Amino acid sequence: MDSIKQAFDLLFSLDKELFQILGVTLRMSFFSTSISCLVGLPLGTLIGTRQFRGKSFLKKLIHTCMGLPPVVAGLLVYMLFTHYGPFGRLNLLFTVTAMVIAQCVLIIPLVTGLTASFVESESRPIIETARGLGLSDARIILLCLSEGRASLLSVVLNAFGRSIAEVGAVSIVGGNIQWKTRVMTTAIMLETNKGKFSFALALGIVLLILAFIVNAAASWIVKERADG
Amino acid sequence: MVELRSVKKVYKDRTVLDVPQLRIQHGESVALTGANGSGKTTLLRILARLLRADSGTVTAPQDVLYLPQHPYAFRGTVLDNVLIGAKDRREQALALLETLELSALAAKPAQSLSGGELQKLALCRVLIRPCALLLLDEPTAALDTNGTRLVCDALARYKAQTDCTVVLSTHAPQFAAKAAERLIVLCDGRIESDGSI
Repeated sequence: MDSIKQAFDLLFSLDKELFQILGVTLRMSFFSTSISCLVGLPLGTLIGTRQFRGKSFLKKLIHTCMGLPPVVAGLLVYMLFTHYGPFGRLNLLFTVTAMVIAQCVLIIPLVTGLTASFVESESRPIIETARGLGLSDARIILLCLSEGRASLLSVVLNAFGRSIAEVGAVSIVGGNIQWKTRVMTTAIMLETNKGKFSFALALGIVLLILAFIVNAAASWIVKERADG
Repeated sequence: MVELRSVKKVYKDRTVLDVPQLRIQHGESVALTGANGSGKTTLLRILARLLRADSGTVTAPQDVLYLPQHPYAFRGTVLDNVLIGAKDRREQALALLETLELSALAAKPAQSLSGGELQKLALCRVLIRPCALLLLDEPTAALDTNGTRLVCDALARYKAQTDCTVVLSTHAPQFAAKAAERLIVLCDGRIESDGSI
């Protein structure tokens, strides 16, 4: 109960650092989810709608990457952007941009795999009807995305959930730097390591409230559009 | 011209289509009939390039339209559905909806239609665009006598305008007699009989 009270106290006290951390968390999650969906939704739909050689292998590869441990993704991005890495000159390590890149490595396979599965199982009548009308592949992909938007929302929210709750990759490439790359999950980890369990739990509750608000807003937007 | 040579399709050790030779002349109207699982849909889907034959060669025009057995109603109104990919044919769409007695439903959500209404809508959606080969999979399965007559009229008008080849599958002999001049009976994936009606 103390943690719940502390969580609301934190929110209502308008603590500057908390809101800065919330801002970085939302910014990182927004960009990593958006980029992953921009890549993964069309790619997944393309894989789901087309028959081609190597499709089964590609799907297995994507499913394997869906289970990629975040620390491995973080390590890969760290090695790419470290001073001696191939992209070291870009000086992106320990920035929010690097955190977004690491999260995209994790989330793009998730969005692609879930979308391909959805399209294969649910979109057959859409594809058959659209192909029968001689529509282009691009048009068919747009139709599948549009018709399945309520179901695909769960894919997007899954991606957002993975992004906002992720800690391994962002702590490796972000470094948990105060006022710069600290996000909710790395802050919780830090407070736990310091033994401030109650405060860490309060931060966790704030994170849950944040996730709930975003989920509710997304569901409402999709419902409004479907009804409208 | 449509031509199939030594075309075979096998699903899990079951031969669903085995056609040594089939030739359909340009402008012909052919009805496929036969029991469930006789290979009618498989043949149509192969001609529509939605399915690949396991062996043999298939020659068909590139310009093909296919009406599936269970068409899908996209989000939006009935008119929106007819105009998918054919936004510039509004007048034709309205005329077709009139022909198939769907005008009153033009502004209604397509996903609220009954099975028969959806089948007529799906036919409108196909008949609004020209093609060289028209493939219809049981286009009157959900229709009553009046609906079937309307479909026959719409098909005859379309054929007169486009001079396309029509291949349709049906379980209704009367519809086959009205809409086609040649009847092919399929049984276990093989052509059992082929002749003029």
